[in-house]
Amino acid sequence: MNALRRHLPLFVLTSPALCVLAVLALYPIAQVLIDSFFQVDYAAHSRQFVGLTNYRTLLDDRVFAGSVFNTLHFSIVASLAEVGLGLGLALLFRRTFAGKRIALPLLILPMMLSTLVCSSIWRGWFNYSGFLNSLLASVNCAPVEWLSNPHMAMWSLILVDVWQWTPMAFLIILAGLQAIPEEILEAAHVDGASAWQRFWQITLPLISRQLMLALLLRSIDTFKLFDKVYALTGGGPGNATQTLSTYIYEQGFQFFNVGPASAASVFMLLIAGVLVALYVREVICKPAAQ
Amino acid sequence: MQETGEIMNFKKMSLALCAACLLSLTTVSAGAADLVVVGRDDVYGRALTEAVNGFVKLHPNTDIELLKLPNANLYQKLKLSLRESTGDYDLVMMDDTWAPEFMANGWLKPLPASMVDADMVQSTVDLGRYPDAKGALYALPMVGNVEMFAYRRDLLTKYKLQPPRSWDDVLKVAQTIHTADKTISGVVFRGAKGNPIVTGFLPILWAYGGDVFDKDGRVALDTPQARAALKTLLALKAYAPKDVDVYGAAEVRDALQKGVAAQSIEVWPAWVPTLDDAGVSQVVGQVALQAPPGQVSGPAPMLGIWQMGIPKDAPHAKLAQDFLAYLSTRETQTRLALIGLPPTRKSVFQDPELVRRFRWYPDQLKALEAGRPRPRVKNWSEVESILGDYLQLAMTDQMAPDAALKEAAQKIAKAQVK
Repeated sequence: MNALRRHLPLFVLTSPALCVLAVLALYPIAQVLIDSFFQVDYAAHSRQFVGLTNYRTLLDDRVFAGSVFNTLHFSIVASLAEVGLGLGLALLFRRTFAGKRIALPLLILPMMLSTLVCSSIWRGWFNYSGFLNSLLASVNCAPVEWLSNPHMAMWSLILVDVWQWTPMAFLIILAGLQAIPEEILEAAHVDGASAWQRFWQITLPLISRQLMLALLLRSIDTFKLFDKVYALTGGGPGNATQTLSTYIYEQGFQFFNVGPASAASVFMLLIAGVLVALYVREVICKPAAQ
Repeated sequence: MQETGEIMNFKKMSLALCAACLLSLTTVSAGAADLVVVGRDDVYGRALTEAVNGFVKLHPNTDIELLKLPNANLYQKLKLSLRESTGDYDLVMMDDTWAPEFMANGWLKPLPASMVDADMVQSTVDLGRYPDAKGALYALPMVGNVEMFAYRRDLLTKYKLQPPRSWDDVLKVAQTIHTADKTISGVVFRGAKGNPIVTGFLPILWAYGGDVFDKDGRVALDTPQARAALKTLLALKAYAPKDVDVYGAAEVRDALQKGVAAQSIEVWPAWVPTLDDAGVSQVVGQVALQAPPGQVSGPAPMLGIWQMGIPKDAPHAKLAQDFLAYLSTRETQTRLALIGLPPTRKSVFQDPELVRRFRWYPDQLKALEAGRPRPRVKNWSEVESILGDYLQLAMTDQMAPDAALKEAAQKIAKAQVK
């Protein structure tokens, strides 16, 4: 009774937020889960229970399999590249050098731009007679079919994402680096540790949480890749850059195939759920390193 | 004293609440237009704006809200709104391939037969009827778009070539010019996946005697005709710009206007109102437009008209009908043609002033009258997307052409039985 009285105000105060969450998040998820077991004729307002047929259709669909592969390819490569580059830049910016005050805002500028603006800039650069190929020509290199070559298109998308989002990883890691007390590094230096040993055995373990946070946040974001594909390649050439998000969009909003689109969404939700669970375990639940 | 303060606070709060309610009501009433028209962006949107302004001049107290959307967004919004009977729109602009779905589902209001007259190009009016060309009228044509073929007159003269009459000729012209001058692409087309590549492929397929569906509605892509057509498209690609696989309308227009392409498989008149504008075009007067070449069959220009219809749930259907009638008049179409919108009335195509400005109008009218629509199936968007994917897989060497057509046929057949 006392516990109820103690928790009642908390429940009353949070109930509006919980209601909004239930309406905006839980209801659509439940509906998608239900729809994934139905064949839905969207125009005729009719639906028929088909069990696991939509899931079987997905597994038989080569485009879906390709979309899963492309999504994972993009997510893993882009996230690792962004965190790796972010770490390098953070180590650089931890030091003092001339022009740092100008370089820092310029470095984080791409992150401030909307993805469509970024894509529009890069679309011009990727043009066969555009900026990048002119740059290559100036050093006697052959031009590259950045977006029209199926083996190159995904790497081009990764390049754009790395350009835009490395600053985010950089800022997270820089915050971690700046929190390391100078005395620890100085003491190691006095004890004769080399620069590499100080980095490998002191700096890296102390910023491991920030690295993990940056990696997980970027993985979750890159896993949802949609807008860059939409603006730059449309999923092509062929299906070379088709991702889970664009596959679902195509099935759901272009063809109105609600059942298969819902099944693909459930699949995507499960993978995203694993990533989120990792994020919660590694970043939120784990106590901070002392 | 404390009680007085509480009363004051209560009064202030009540006043603020009343003000908020009043503000909300004002916003709601301000948002309620007399007529909501939804259509395309780009030149279509500019033309609609001009039409709205003209209509408001005649009906000064009419408040018209015009929404201009990109192609894919427009289809989604229309389908969602019409299916849910939201009553959001009074007049909607549709691609002719969407109309069969909208009409079959009973989402459009029938229009009076009197809205059509003999001056309107018959082939464009027929696409607004359901279930066939003799059925009830549900939509009026607004944009007389028909796919044309473009070639550079000066280059053909220079290399002593004749205007192409067959796809073999197109290949020969492309080969000759590109071999002689590597800075000129022999041919250019929209190679991006989905609608663009399919739109470029269909006239070739039709010229080779093929089609997406046969007369009984069965998928007919795994056929010798389709294979021959795809072989021609792939042969042409060798003389196209390197990154033609991502080309859209803007790239094709730029290539033509910059003078770096000798031919274009497809040009839609609405894209090229500036072809003879010396301010943007380096080939003024040098690009000729004609119906696409034939091969086994005669030329088959593809219709790509835009229509306007009134949703069944339109709250202001009467006013929408008045606006539609205004849009279809000769005077309005003439004004919109000056902006670059292809008309749907014969008299406008024959207007001497317009013919001086758009010298291809006589050929465009002929192509429009002989035009062929894309297959009239309810899920054309899906069919087009599947075919577009496989055409691109073949174009980018990710799949053998025969296998691509076979798999496309199987996948489309599956989509048709859903």
